Amino acid sequence: MPLMRNIGIRLKLVLITMTTSVTALLLTGAAFIVWEQIASRQNLVQEMSTQAQVIADSSKAALAFEDVKDIQNTLNILRSHPTVVFACIYDRNGRILASYYRGGAVKSVQIPKLQVDEKNYYFGDGFLTVFQPIVLDNEVTGTVCLMSDLTQVYAMLKGSADIIAIVLLIASLVAYIMSARLQRIISVPVLSLTEVTKIVSEKRDYSVRAIKETDDEIGLLIEAFNEMLEQTQRRESELVSAKRQLEMGVKERTADLTVTNKKLQQEIIERKRIEARQEELLEEIKSINQELDSFAYVVSHDLKAPLRGIATLAEWIANDYADKLDDNGKEQLKLLGNRVDRMKALIDGILQYSRIGRVKEDKVKIDLNMLIRSVVELIAPPKNITVTIDGLLPTIECEQTRITQVFQNLLSNAIKYMDKTNGLIKVTCDEEKGFWRFGVSDNGPGIEERHFEKIFQLFQTLQPKEGTESTGIGLTLVKKIVETYGGKVWVESEVGKGSTFFFTLPKEENKVVENEKLEANIAG
Amino acid sequence: MRHKVCKILVLVVALLISAVVASVEQTSLSTGQPQEYQLKAAFLFNFIRFVDWPNEKSTDTNEPIFIGVIGNDSFGDAFEPAKSKPVKGRRIVVERFKSFAELEKSGDKKRQQEEIETIRRCHLLFICSSEKDKAKDIIESLKNSPVLTVGEAPGLLESGGIIRLLTEDKKVGFEINLYAAEQVKLRISSQLLRLAKRVIKESLVSMNGPKNENDTGTL
Repeated sequence: MPLMRNIGIRLKLVLITMTTSVTALLLTGAAFIVWEQIASRQNLVQEMSTQAQVIADSSKAALAFEDVKDIQNTLNILRSHPTVVFACIYDRNGRILASYYRGGAVKSVQIPKLQVDEKNYYFGDGFLTVFQPIVLDNEVTGTVCLMSDLTQVYAMLKGSADIIAIVLLIASLVAYIMSARLQRIISVPVLSLTEVTKIVSEKRDYSVRAIKETDDEIGLLIEAFNEMLEQTQRRESELVSAKRQLEMGVKERTADLTVTNKKLQQEIIERKRIEARQEELLEEIKSINQELDSFAYVVSHDLKAPLRGIATLAEWIANDYADKLDDNGKEQLKLLGNRVDRMKALIDGILQYSRIGRVKEDKVKIDLNMLIRSVVELIAPPKNITVTIDGLLPTIECEQTRITQVFQNLLSNAIKYMDKTNGLIKVTCDEEKGFWRFGVSDNGPGIEERHFEKIFQLFQTLQPKEGTESTGIGLTLVKKIVETYGGKVWVESEVGKGSTFFFTLPKEENKVVENEKLEANIAG
Repeated sequence: MRHKVCKILVLVVALLISAVVASVEQTSLSTGQPQEYQLKAAFLFNFIRFVDWPNEKSTDTNEPIFIGVIGNDSFGDAFEPAKSKPVKGRRIVVERFKSFAELEKSGDKKRQQEEIETIRRCHLLFICSSEKDKAKDIIESLKNSPVLTVGEAPGLLESGGIIRLLTEDKKVGFEINLYAAEQVKLRISSQLLRLAKRVIKESLVSMNGPKNENDTGTL
């Protein structure tokens, strides 16, 4: 199979060489034969002319003296000349004086007509005819005619042609052998190069190299090819490594992504779970809260009625049995009345607390300055306590009952726990990051820091001053209201010096109100 | 009508006659046997062609070739063709000399001597048959002058003559005394020698014998 493939260029080279050399040989042979023919004819003509000249010269006298016998003798010399088949001598009138025939040629030869021409020889019918005038004293006294057989010439030519044919055959054979060997000089490197290209194209193997053996153009070609291969190989390897890196990168990323995805999914699931749980909890809390609210409402509402009954009964006993009861009895009835009042206040507080989440009120514009004044009037603080408003308070839009409850609780707490003879209570307001920050500060006993959280819890009270009682609902109520509005409530305090209760309310929805209020002030 | 027939007949006869005459004339001119002496004159011209003279005889082509004829010749106008046709590129001048005997008879020695001197200048001397007896004297008087002596009389070669013409079976031939020719430094072409009926190569005088008939040189 490789041999069949290789046959192309090898055969071509051999064919080229053979065609060239055989053509050259043929041309040479042909030229040689043609030349030989011309040369042999000319030789023959020369020879015959010389012969005729000799005869003409030696028969001059005989012709002059018309000695036919001598002429005949002269012609008979031609016996020694094998190619001459016929000879004759004409006299000046064209008459044949004597003739000579080679043995057996008498009939086959047609006696030529005397031709006096510039050209004195003629080829024809396989004979060369030569005419040689006999000149004596510048006068043509006769003509010698010789006819030569050309068969010998042709035989010689044929012999030459045979030899040339043999030489041609041998030379062709030698040329074939030589070209078959010498073509390798060109074909071997080319074929090896072809092999290499085949390997490269079929197996994609760029590591093979063609072997450079010569410094000629083929050598250069091989060199260039090798260089190309090297470049291709380098690129290929670069490409492969780049591809590998890319693949690895992709794999890594994919793995990472998978992990991340899984995590994310888990997280999502977790979050959903948590959310669901939160919602569940929220629902639970809501329902609990609701239940609690409704419970508180129901309890406080339902408790109110028997309480009122007890109060009425106590009043009735005090009025109807005033004369029958001693002082001790009257005192105890009075205590009962107090207890009932306290019970009533407690129940009211719980009722209020439970209302915050349950009952919604329409929001109205409220001038806090006015509100504070009315609250203070309602509380009617003792004479030793002064309530002041620091600066001008804004007008805000909210539920009147709620905001009143907030200030009422804070102010009444401050008054309730005031231990100083010269009590000072101050209401402040400033802005902070979109919120109104209100403060109610006093110079009362102050609160220990460990109670800061506790005081906002339901039913938690601190030791009140003598004669005051606390339900433990007020601050819880404040906290709930403020947080309902989205604000915060906290306390800052120093024991013995006083405390300040702060709460914030979002300012956003009050903005317009404030502006209006300002305009009103300007107008007023 | 008869007139016309006669005229045509006459015309035909005249044409026939003229044709016959023409043919006869033609044959006599081209193929007919030439006169004997015309042939012999032609022979003399041919001899000149095949004989080389030594340098002492002028070779100048402007100079004519002299042919001397001594005695009573029968050539007549046989030499006429030579006047228009040069031999060896030279004109032919024929001089006729009186019989040697007559010269001797006249007793005028000075005239005789002048005559001999004139003969010596000739290239060829034809000795007529009338001078048969004086041939030897004539030849001797020429001493060693390169003169080609030609004659017809038998015994001419023995007398020192160089070429003798002879007639056999109505054909003219010749014989040559090569020795005599060599004595006067004449070179005779081998072709001519080949054609001779007889060639004498030795001195006939010294042999002192009769004619050497056997020494013939036909080819």
